[in-house]
Amino acid sequence: MKEIITIISLPVFAGLLLFFLPEKFRTFKGILAIMVVAVSGYLTIVIYSSANHFCSLNELSSGQSGLNTGFGLIHDMGRYITFNCDNLSKLIVVSVSIFSFLILLYSLVYSKDGRVRNYYTYFLITLGCSYGAILSDNLLLFITFWGILGITLYKLIQSYDEESSATAKKTLILIGASDSIMIIGIAILWKITGSLSMGGISVHTSNILSVVAFLALLTGSFTKAGAFPMHTWVPDYAQYAPASSTAYLPASLDKLLGIYFLARITTGMFILNEWLTLLLLSLGVISIITAVLMALVQHNYKRLLGFHAVSQVGYMILGFGLGSMIGVAAGLFHMINNALYKSGLFLSAGSVEYRTKKQDIDDLGGLSKVMPLTFLATLIFAMSISGIPPFNGFASKWMIYQGIIDFGKGTMIANKLWVVWLGLAVLGSALTLASFVKLIGGIFLGRQRKEFEGLREVPFLMWLPMILLAACCIFLGVFATDYIVPKLFMPVSGAFQFQGLWNSSFVSLLVLISIILGILLYLAFSLKRFRTEDSFIGGEKIHDQTGYSTTEFYKTLGEFRMFSWFFRKAGEGSFDIYDQTKKYVLRLSHQLSEAHNGVLPAYIIWVFAGLIIMLLIMI
Amino acid sequence: MNQLVPLFVVIPLAGAFLIMILGRFFSELNKYLASAILLILAVFSIYSLVTTGENPALYKTGGWEPVNKIPIGIYMVMDGFTVIVLCIINIVGFLSVFYSISYIKRYTAENYYYSLFCLMVAGMNGVVLSGDLFNIFVFLEISVISAYALVAFGVEKNELEASFKYQVLGGIASFLILFGIGFIYWKTKTLNIADIRHVFSTGYNRTYYLFVEILILTGFGLKAAIIPFHAWLPDAHSSAPSPISAMLSGVLIKAAGIYVIIRLFFNMFIITENMAVLITTLGTLSMVIGVFLAIGQWDIKRLLAYHSISQMGYVVMSAGIGMILISRGIKPEIASLAVAGGIFHLVNHAVFKGLLFLNAGAIEYTIGTRDLREMGGLAKSMPATHATSFVASMSISGIPPFNGFFSKLIIIIAAVLAKFYLLAALAVIVSIITLASFLKFQRYAFFNNSDNNKNLNIKEVPFPMIFSMVVLSILCVFLSLLAIPAVRDVFLTPAINILTDTLKYSTSILGK
Repeated sequence: MKEIITIISLPVFAGLLLFFLPEKFRTFKGILAIMVVAVSGYLTIVIYSSANHFCSLNELSSGQSGLNTGFGLIHDMGRYITFNCDNLSKLIVVSVSIFSFLILLYSLVYSKDGRVRNYYTYFLITLGCSYGAILSDNLLLFITFWGILGITLYKLIQSYDEESSATAKKTLILIGASDSIMIIGIAILWKITGSLSMGGISVHTSNILSVVAFLALLTGSFTKAGAFPMHTWVPDYAQYAPASSTAYLPASLDKLLGIYFLARITTGMFILNEWLTLLLLSLGVISIITAVLMALVQHNYKRLLGFHAVSQVGYMILGFGLGSMIGVAAGLFHMINNALYKSGLFLSAGSVEYRTKKQDIDDLGGLSKVMPLTFLATLIFAMSISGIPPFNGFASKWMIYQGIIDFGKGTMIANKLWVVWLGLAVLGSALTLASFVKLIGGIFLGRQRKEFEGLREVPFLMWLPMILLAACCIFLGVFATDYIVPKLFMPVSGAFQFQGLWNSSFVSLLVLISIILGILLYLAFSLKRFRTEDSFIGGEKIHDQTGYSTTEFYKTLGEFRMFSWFFRKAGEGSFDIYDQTKKYVLRLSHQLSEAHNGVLPAYIIWVFAGLIIMLLIMI
Repeated sequence: MNQLVPLFVVIPLAGAFLIMILGRFFSELNKYLASAILLILAVFSIYSLVTTGENPALYKTGGWEPVNKIPIGIYMVMDGFTVIVLCIINIVGFLSVFYSISYIKRYTAENYYYSLFCLMVAGMNGVVLSGDLFNIFVFLEISVISAYALVAFGVEKNELEASFKYQVLGGIASFLILFGIGFIYWKTKTLNIADIRHVFSTGYNRTYYLFVEILILTGFGLKAAIIPFHAWLPDAHSSAPSPISAMLSGVLIKAAGIYVIIRLFFNMFIITENMAVLITTLGTLSMVIGVFLAIGQWDIKRLLAYHSISQMGYVVMSAGIGMILISRGIKPEIASLAVAGGIFHLVNHAVFKGLLFLNAGAIEYTIGTRDLREMGGLAKSMPATHATSFVASMSISGIPPFNGFFSKLIIIIAAVLAKFYLLAALAVIVSIITLASFLKFQRYAFFNNSDNNKNLNIKEVPFPMIFSMVVLSILCVFLSLLAIPAVRDVFLTPAINILTDTLKYSTSILGK
């Protein structure tokens, strides 16, 4: 219990303290922050190694009976302040610690220029509140912590120009809206079950009320994680916020929290009916496909990554929609994997931006020579996210595919459609690969531009987190079936058997052997005398001034009739729930203001009309 | 018999005249005298809040004792609900008047300003404390007439027009209220609220009193700016000097409108379900229409003014839900929860809306405009205003950990538990649009185009203004503690009990 209170309050109070230190001591603030993160990270490991337990604030007061006067107040709150350390929450808190530590290391250099004021304050408050949201068992306590994360998300974007301030506004409106909707879900749950404990309730979604409660809570989870149709803040945020903020919140912590809560509601708090399963699976594949299509045509690499952040969530939703043990384990596994490579990708995007000050793929090229470590890390992340063995993305996607095939044995409508889910998930993976070929090719490969010749690799503190994340990607992929899944995810989901013949370590060994063989062949036959040619661009000659852009190759996609309609509508914001709602609200607002014309007799008429109508109705 | 009770009226009333007389001779005295008066009142109100528990304190003016247990003198009553509103009036009043020390320098005739301010506070304290209907009316007139004058204080075209509209509609309201009081007096032969309740419980002619109830509701609804009686509010609240807007929006519509409606409908009239449904409907209408009107505004103070309508809608709606449950006689604990949410929101609204108007005043003070489109990038040059207004904006939008979140949470939960799902959904939607419009305020005032050359040499406002804003923003954070059950028991529960246990007010005052 004491550890839980400490890991929540220590970062929050440290953050508040840093708020009152002047911005001049930014470096000092950063060092203090990293110490706080390290201490709370250590405590989360202590929590991880302890046994599963429920606890409430009352335990503190019962331990010290001598001081009971002061604890009378606490005792009353004990009903609301309850925590639940089970396998799921323990897994997530440790992951949160790891990601925050690595990203904070990166930020020490990256946000030295102080473009976000009080960066470390909001960073630490986010950390404390994330721990709080994950560990709390009481729904009211949970929604309080959960809501504070919206503010810090809003504050971690610099918003000094028009676009970023608009993005900050949109982000907090969507997040705040979903939080408010969740309150309804919580209230209905309270009404149905009479309890606010997440661990203690299990509701059949058989009547309309429980379905509404489920959908309300699902909205919160989807908005936080960034899934269709509540995803529209993620690409904008990715584009305009500093890369470290994006890596921290939308790419890792918000995903962990959103999917954590999805896991809670789909596996514990609600028992899904057939239609809700169908809904979840459909939203999952829609997220995968639409977001990846949008990613394919982006020029801004940060925005491209933002769309992938949406697309990957679709896989996790698929996993939880299946509801089977392998599905849940796969969803969680994919969540951790996605956080690893997605925050890694944003960090490398930040590194590229840090050195080149450019955000458009068209303006970049050939950076692999000057930034080899960044290139290597990005390549590993890109292969992971595209699902290439033996990296981690493949392992979790493979499990999701297995889960879907297994799911096909059932008899409900959703089960019958298993081919659709499987086909679209695999297609999404292929399209992901296609868009990462663009990213890698456009930024790191190709001819090096003149202006980038003098560039150097990013500082140590920036490349170290990326390399560590990349190492994790490999590690989780290689040992997936032997160690990672049985040790980390089976305790949460329950034990299951893998289907099909696939052992990640064995496959990795084969990959390794083939690479070594290749190298041996290369050395043995001394194949050094290969040709080097410029890139082939349709037979045109390349001069010094000739520029070709990798993104051009993807333009054809927009010319298919079906896709061109989709991209046009998406460009107009027709799929953006925020833009659409805004339009209607403002129209209604305008109509109502027209009535307020400032003419006094009209106002007097309203008063008497109101009075007379009331009298007519009532008497 | 509590000797402190009349001081809430006597001190500011005497102060108002003292300021006029002494201000002739000492030109700097007025602001300090006014601040001192309000500070004393604020301290008194906090003291009363801590000391008044479940039992109402009674002050019989002139020492007239009841004859045969029928009260014949004027009673001043201070119970749990009264002290909460007293605290709002005097604390927000003190901070506004302290803020005015710097702000009001731009106007002439400061003596009139401070004197009218004290008069308004005296009126509001009187309305809240008064235990009989006619005195409520008298004090109401004192406070609103000073408000008419204060709204017109700038004596420009807009201010005069707003004040004129306010006077006309306020006059109609006063007429309706007096009419209603007359009807009640005709039948019951008494004006003491507790005694009227006692007479009502012996025999209640529904149709007759329904008419009276609607008259009273319309009259006080006009003062509280419930839709469709709201039309004066956006003009009046946006034209007044900012500290006065803070008082009008943060306090006056509550003390003179919402407080009286809640007090009379819970503790005087016998609650009928029809009337309860009507009140809930009006509250919901205000809540929804107010916010839609607000989001389209570009004038900060008009935006804030429309939000006052919408937020008061929350209070009226949740009080209405409580009334419906009481009239049906079911689920008393949920009725208490709904009323608790309403009162909690009432307190919160006073704090954050007062703060927001002070912020708007600070912005107007430095850059001289109220139009959001002409602002931008103030976050760097006005850090204190930015931070406090952010706290207030988050509070009113219901984002944790600020106070507005908890009161809205309680209201929504109460609505769901009472099976008013539609109302809960509307409350959520309104909350979302509120958030959107305050993020619009934040964005256009403080961020957006920060490289605007106009705004480079802007300085933060003077100390008194910062002080008031900072204190209110700290209150925004600490009032969330009222959500904790143990704290709620001390401060809110007496107020809730006296309202939900509808007979308690009359029995404890009459002693029968």
